[in-house]
Amino acid sequence: MSYFFQLVVSGIVVGSIYALSALGFVLIYKSSRVLNIAHGQFIASGAFITYALTVWANIPIYISFPASMLATFFLAMSVERVFLRRLIGEPIISVIMVTIGLMSILDGLIYLTPFGAENFSFPPFLPTTPIGFAGVSISWTQLVGVVTTFSLIACFTWFFKKSTVGISMRAVSDDQLAAMSIGISVPRVFGLAWAMAGLSAAAAGGVIGNITGLNFDTLHAFGIVVFPVVILGGLDSILGAVVAGIIMGLIQQFASGYLDGHWGLSGTGEVMPYIVLLVILLFKPHGLFGIHEIERV
Amino acid sequence: MKKDNLTRWMFLLGAVVMVTLPGQALAGEVYKLGLSLAITGPTSDAGNPYAKGVEDYFKYVNDTKMLGDDTIDCTIRDDQYKNDITKQNFEDFLDQGIVFYLNYSTGSTLALKKDFEEVKMPVIPASFHAGNLVDSNYIFLPIASYSDQAIGLAEYIVTNHKGGMPKVALFIHPSAFGRGPVEDLQKAVSAGLALEIVEVVEHGKDLDNTAMLKRLMSKGVQYVISQTVQSPVATMLKDADSLGLVAKSFGEEGKVTFLGCHYTGGNDLVALAGAAAENFYWTTSYIVTNEPSPGATAQLELAKRYNRDEKAANSHNYANGMMVAQVATEVIRRAKAKGKEINNVTLYEELQEMNGDNAYSPGTTVGPVTYSKTDHTGVDSLQLYVVKDGAFRSAGTPFIPKYTGKK
Repeated sequence: MSYFFQLVVSGIVVGSIYALSALGFVLIYKSSRVLNIAHGQFIASGAFITYALTVWANIPIYISFPASMLATFFLAMSVERVFLRRLIGEPIISVIMVTIGLMSILDGLIYLTPFGAENFSFPPFLPTTPIGFAGVSISWTQLVGVVTTFSLIACFTWFFKKSTVGISMRAVSDDQLAAMSIGISVPRVFGLAWAMAGLSAAAAGGVIGNITGLNFDTLHAFGIVVFPVVILGGLDSILGAVVAGIIMGLIQQFASGYLDGHWGLSGTGEVMPYIVLLVILLFKPHGLFGIHEIERV
Repeated sequence: MKKDNLTRWMFLLGAVVMVTLPGQALAGEVYKLGLSLAITGPTSDAGNPYAKGVEDYFKYVNDTKMLGDDTIDCTIRDDQYKNDITKQNFEDFLDQGIVFYLNYSTGSTLALKKDFEEVKMPVIPASFHAGNLVDSNYIFLPIASYSDQAIGLAEYIVTNHKGGMPKVALFIHPSAFGRGPVEDLQKAVSAGLALEIVEVVEHGKDLDNTAMLKRLMSKGVQYVISQTVQSPVATMLKDADSLGLVAKSFGEEGKVTFLGCHYTGGNDLVALAGAAAENFYWTTSYIVTNEPSPGATAQLELAKRYNRDEKAANSHNYANGMMVAQVATEVIRRAKAKGKEINNVTLYEELQEMNGDNAYSPGTTVGPVTYSKTDHTGVDSLQLYVVKDGAFRSAGTPFIPKYTGKK
């Protein structure tokens, strides 16, 4: 039975990190209907900035981690200002193509740094002995990852529900024209959405980097790995990202826990989330919490 | 008037010919080689130092006039680990008139196998996949294949395990690169290698291996042999370390001893896994710079000469790149010494004659490089290393696995 609970805990840990990684997609899509293909590069950038501040600038990780979130906040905001602001009003596909180009540019820039082709790891700053209860264990790294994820998600949820800026962002998401007519600056909202996505990406990068080590391929791949989470949750729902992340994490762990090693199966944890995704989308094409827009003509 | 002009032109042409021809003869021959590999993109952490090793060694050959007035011009191109770009690069190299080709990944080596056959081009890839040699005449592995490495590790387990039959799990990359050794290891077990393969785990982008490790423990697994790249191994080691599963000594009872083939180890693994890499066992045919040897000195001096940083200088993949450049240079030198014209055919012949008294010891490997018509695996010897105090140290002396099917 402890094995079952271990899978549950592992599933929640992995799922919450997926949710954190997926948050950036949701934040941008929610406000601008744009899918940022370069999100994985922001995740990697955040992790590398944290490392550079911690190791090269000798700043304690407790400070360098939020500092890198702030740095990526401004980086993403600048990217939006330089590359995407002038595309407001253009077809969405053009904007998505720009984010693909952006992905290549960021890749190229990262390859110019030592992070492009070398491996690093954060200096140890957490206890190495895991927390164990009734045969179920969770490492401090994972626990901190889960706590960071849920804290950030709680902050974003509060922000969107209670703050004036958050409410104006939701208004832009609902109807850009109506939002403009009541004086909301749509470009400013877009910039802020990108900035917040950058912030969440840096958090995800820090958490993932602390688990896997800092390898550019591994880190930026999470931009793609979380696609099923974003689609399943519904592209514009923060709650959807959390629920879908945990569902995906649990499916992955249960598949590899109970199917791998039996009947000649292996690697099912990689495949099962996609199978479940396809099945759910058959019945809920807009994802679990995505808004189903009906256009009347 | 016209006749005067013609005479003037003829004189000028003659002068040009007189000036350039002796110059060319003095400059010697230029032998063109090509290397396509991942300097950026997936696995560039290995490709980058590899490319530096190749580049530096050929520079060294030219700068020290190792081939007299003749020089090697090796074009190195990034293929971002994409087979289509590798193919394009290879075709461009052919147009340039290369006489020897250095390739990189398992995927592209398998994909271009027919091309190599068609143009009869000798090739040394950075991939040690045994399948590269199947139905191929022109591919030469620099060192023991991944299969031989996994079998070597398995033999070491059998020899040093105390108690009953050792239980082993394989942790592999979900690709031909990772799966390659599985069947060969199973064959070795069928041929009498006394161990039980309990499970083959194909990893993904795993953030948590706790459940997998607990499952393996519940099945009584005592050893995990990895055939993949460093990053997933580092994540697994961190999880195993936090669960207190890592054996502190080889085969420690109730714990798991982790082992891996060439691309799982090296300094990059220590960089990624930190203290969790301690007591990880790794095999390769290359020397490491942590331990003094003539090869290590040569490697460090070469890197210093061309201003490489510490990380590249100490990388086993720098040694890897350096070694294939050494072999390519050696076959050119030997063909030249025999008065042969340097082309793909003569270099192919020279490679196949590199055995017996003609075996080549580059110093960067733990054994000599030997090829023949029937044996296209360079260095057969393997060295086992173990991480102690954050550095890979030799565990025992070089050995040649017995269950590889090679005589």
